[in-house]
Amino acid sequence: MRSLFLKFFLSFFLVIALMIGAAALIGFLYGEQLQKTIEDFEVGDSMKIAAKALETGGRAALLKWRDGTPRDDGVMIFILDDQGKDISGRRIPFTLERIYQRLGGRADELRRSNTKEIQNNRLSLFLPQLQAPSGEVFTFLVSPEAFWANQDIRVLLLIFAVLISGSVSYGLASAFSRPVRKLRYATLSLAEGNLDARVEKSVGKRRDELGMLGRDFDAMADKLERAAIQMIELLGNISHELRSPLARMRVAVELARRKTGEMTEFDRLDQEAERLDSLIGQILSYTKLEADSQINPEEIDLDDIVSEVAENVNFEWKQDRVVVKSSTINASIMGFRGAMLGAVENIVRNAVKHSPTDSKVIIRTSVNSTDAQIEIIDDGPGVPSQDLERLFEPFFRTRQSTEADANGGAGLGLAIAHRAITLHTGHIEARNRDRAGLVVTISLPIVD
Amino acid sequence: MDNGRTTADILMIDDDRDLGAMVSDYLAGDHLKVTVANSGESGLIAFKANNFDLLILDIMMPGMSGLDVLKSIRQTSNVPVIMLTARGDDVDRIIGLEFGADDYLPKPFNPRELIARIKAILRRSQQQPEEDKVLELGQITLDTRTRKAMVSDNELRLTGTEYEILKCLLETPGKVVNKEYLSERALGRRLLPYDRSVDTHISNLRGKLEKGGNQNETIQNQRGIGYLLVPGT
Repeated sequence: MRSLFLKFFLSFFLVIALMIGAAALIGFLYGEQLQKTIEDFEVGDSMKIAAKALETGGRAALLKWRDGTPRDDGVMIFILDDQGKDISGRRIPFTLERIYQRLGGRADELRRSNTKEIQNNRLSLFLPQLQAPSGEVFTFLVSPEAFWANQDIRVLLLIFAVLISGSVSYGLASAFSRPVRKLRYATLSLAEGNLDARVEKSVGKRRDELGMLGRDFDAMADKLERAAIQMIELLGNISHELRSPLARMRVAVELARRKTGEMTEFDRLDQEAERLDSLIGQILSYTKLEADSQINPEEIDLDDIVSEVAENVNFEWKQDRVVVKSSTINASIMGFRGAMLGAVENIVRNAVKHSPTDSKVIIRTSVNSTDAQIEIIDDGPGVPSQDLERLFEPFFRTRQSTEADANGGAGLGLAIAHRAITLHTGHIEARNRDRAGLVVTISLPIVD
Repeated sequence: MDNGRTTADILMIDDDRDLGAMVSDYLAGDHLKVTVANSGESGLIAFKANNFDLLILDIMMPGMSGLDVLKSIRQTSNVPVIMLTARGDDVDRIIGLEFGADDYLPKPFNPRELIARIKAILRRSQQQPEEDKVLELGQITLDTRTRKAMVSDNELRLTGTEYEILKCLLETPGKVVNKEYLSERALGRRLLPYDRSVDTHISNLRGKLEKGGNQNETIQNQRGIGYLLVPGT
């Protein structure tokens, strides 16, 4: 159906109309049948037989008269004592009992009520009374048997109602909720940074309002993706353009140093240039990651990556700050070696930078049937829990950023890692340790 | 080397004119004579017309890129090449070393580092040939007099750096040579943190040995230590 509006409108309208119509029709037909039953009822000489039975055998014989032979005219007979109760304890409808009480059990009054009450759809007839030899008076009341005994039709009706409305409701609800769920997953995925999340192959194909919503979602995602790419490109272009003047500046500083002799300011200039340089380098490796994915992925041994990173970082710090605390996992992933190495390296360097100089950063690896995990555990101060989620954003600084941050990179190391890991369809997250320190966990899908 | 006269002729190919002029100025202080070309095309012409001891080659140039220049030069010459790569661009670096550059420097570079690299490579390429020696292992032969490496009868076209690495490995076959030593011997400089040039050279060398028809001897990586050349069985 083209329109959700139409679908909802028609479904509800049809179900409700159908149910009301069916209920009315069934009620009407049933009522007709009951009325016919009672109208067709003929007393005949059965009252005479009853009177004889009562005369000869009393109450017991009367009961035998009533229940002894099954009736074929679809009615049942109640025999009321002078209290208005059935002599065998059959339950009498409350309304009839009230009529009996109201009319004080007087036969003529009860009989007169018949005509009047049948018109009011009371499907019962009072028959003439009989008096037992003991003086007891019995009132005879006749009612269509189906009305009391046959409950099946009502159960059937109920089942019918539940089935029809249930199945239509189910169909409607699932037709509505399935695409909404898909949209929701796509939205979540987009929010998590998968800018290529689209619904054009699922919801977007629909021709109703949800399909429109899906296509709008895709259009929005396209724009977001383009904006994100443009932002990264812009960042890359700016950095790229900054490089040339910086290169010239560095040579100029050295030339000046030569001409005027050593001055401490030159060292400072050099140091700042170095810092700018490393910042630009970081931005460029961040922006270049996507370009990396243009080359063919290769199989990368994770044990190799981990030990090479440990080796490199220890080499940089000229002491054994990083310890790999697990045996080899013999797991490989498909990907880009440089990017992977850079990712793990950035996390480990970050950990080393933020932990006390006499502590060790631990790398632990593990593997299951589908994924390999690399944990980088440090003894540093950790990260305020509200900042954990933003830790991997470019240029993000925690509220308690330390000296180490100010002097170190640009807050891009973890962003680079995040981007690289995402590029490898992996997952990265950070959490604080119970006591102190941070654990960064990378998980990556492995190849067999 | 610092005896007041020009010790080497260097060709710098970089589209940044000002930078070229400044580097030329700067290196002149170290008695290195720099000719600057501002495009790949003019650089190639200059290279063919003169005899340079070393090339500084910017990878990112409009028009004929540094990689194209390198490819073209390597067809005829083993002149040492230091390339200037985009910082943060591993691909350029790896491809550059694959195409036969001897070393690389990310741009913007520290000029003192540039001088150090230049001198290291010049030192290596200008060193007097040592006593004639032929190193052999399986199908691989290396002649230090002619500076030629062969697999069986095929001569390998190795860059200076690859040649030095192969020589180091052949001197102690079956024994691990650590990366620091390889860097110092082959590149003439200390190994730097996150410096993967030795690894890249090794992987290129591997490729060339294989292409040359060598099947038995393999260069293996000893994780965290270095490399060794394993004799075939």
